[in-house]
Amino acid sequence: MQFDVAFALSTVPTILGAIGMTLLVAASSCVGASAIGFGFELIRRSGGWGGLLVGFVIDFIRATPVLVWLYCLYFILPFYGIRLGALATGMIGLSLYYSGYLAEVFKAGIDAIPNGQAEAAKALGLGRMDMTIFVIAPQMLRNIAAPMGNYFVSILKATPYLAVLAVPEMLGRAFDIASDTYRYAEPLTVAGLIFLGLALLISQAIKRLEIRLLGPTAR
Amino acid sequence: MSVLEIWLGILQGFRVTALVTLYGLVFAIPFGLIFGVAQHLTTGPARFVVTSVIEFWRSSAVIILLFVFYYALPLAGLALSAMTVSAMVLGLNIGGYASQAVRAGLQALDRGQKEAGHALGLSRSTILLRIELPQALVAMSPTFINQLIQLVKATSLVSLVTLTDMTFRAKEISQIEYDPVPIYTSLLLAYFIVCYPVALFGRWVERRINPAREARRAV
Repeated sequence: MQFDVAFALSTVPTILGAIGMTLLVAASSCVGASAIGFGFELIRRSGGWGGLLVGFVIDFIRATPVLVWLYCLYFILPFYGIRLGALATGMIGLSLYYSGYLAEVFKAGIDAIPNGQAEAAKALGLGRMDMTIFVIAPQMLRNIAAPMGNYFVSILKATPYLAVLAVPEMLGRAFDIASDTYRYAEPLTVAGLIFLGLALLISQAIKRLEIRLLGPTAR
Repeated sequence: MSVLEIWLGILQGFRVTALVTLYGLVFAIPFGLIFGVAQHLTTGPARFVVTSVIEFWRSSAVIILLFVFYYALPLAGLALSAMTVSAMVLGLNIGGYASQAVRAGLQALDRGQKEAGHALGLSRSTILLRIELPQALVAMSPTFINQLIQLVKATSLVSLVTLTDMTFRAKEISQIEYDPVPIYTSLLLAYFIVCYPVALFGRWVERRINPAREARRAV
C-alpha cells in the first residue's frame, strides 16, 4: 500500500469540519483550567490544612498522565451514577489536569509581585476580594502572559486525547475515516498537519497579543 | 479482584513503561543537545532549518505524531516495532522541548564567558564544550528533570499502539473485571509513585543550584 495523496486531500474537508469541536474543547478547557488553577493557588496561599491539601493535589496532578485522568473520570464517574457524556468529561478532565500546571504559573506570577502592593492595598482599606481582583490579578497576568499562553497551546495539543473517549474532534474524525476505509496513514497525517498548523498559528497569535498588550519588553 | 492483584497486574506493565522511557531518552538527549546547540550557533537559512525540525517535533500533538508514525512508516517501507516508533516519537517530542532549554541556557550565559575563552585563545568548540555547555546544562538541570517526568507520563500513550505498559494492563484488567474505581485509582497512584520522587529530586536540585547562581551574580 502506498501513501495516497489524492485520498489524503479528500479527507481534509471532513477532518477540518471538526475544527470547531477542537476549538470549543480547547477554549473551554483553557477557561476552566485558569479558573480552577487560580482558585487552587489562592487556597494554597491561604495556608492551613486546606492549603496543604490543595498543594498536594497540585503535585499529584502534575505527577500523573493526562490520559489516565481522562480514563479515570470517564470510567469512575458513571460508577457513582454521574453521567456527563464524553465531551463534558473530556473538558472537565483537561480543565482539572491543566489547572495543576496553571496554579504553578499563577504562583510564580504572584510571587513576583512586590509585597508592598498587597500592603498598600491593605493600608487603603481594600478587602481581600478587592485586593485579589484589582491589585494582585492584573499585575500577576502581566507577569505570566508568556507561560500562560504556552499552556493554552499545550491544552490545544491535548484536545486530541479526547478521541480516546470518542469525542468527535479532529483526531476522532480521522479515526472514523480510517475505520471506514481501512486506510490509517492518510487521515491521521492530515489531522496531524492541521493540528501542527493550528498550534503554530495560535502560538504566534498569542505572542503578537502579548507584545501588543504588554509592549515588546514582555518576553 | 483484590487490590493486591490489581497492583500486581499493573506492575506487570512497569517494565514496558520503564523501557519506553529509557529508549525515549536515547532519542531525546542527543536530539535536545545537538539541536539546542545548533539553534544557538547557526544563523540565517541554517537556523531556519534547525528551528523547523525542532518546531515539528515540539509543536505537533504528540498523540497524533505517535499514530501517524505508527501507521504511516510501514507505507514508506519502514517496518519498525511499536516500541521503536514509540520511543522515537516520544523521545524526539521531549527532545524538542529539551533543545529549547539547552538553547535558553546557552543564551542566558554572560557574554564575558565566551569572550574570555576567545581571549585565552581557545577554539570555538573548546569554548562550547568546556565553558558554555557545562554551565548551561547545570543551570537548566531542573528543567531537564521536569521534562523527564513529562516523558514518563507521555509513555501512557503507548498503550494506544498495543504496547503492554501500566496503562494497557489497567485497561486490560478493567475489561476482565468491571471494577473501575480501584483499578484506575491504583493506576494514578502507580504513576505518582514513579514520578513524584523525581519531582522532589528536581526541587532539591533547583534549591542547590539557585543559591550558587545568586552567589555568582553577586560577585
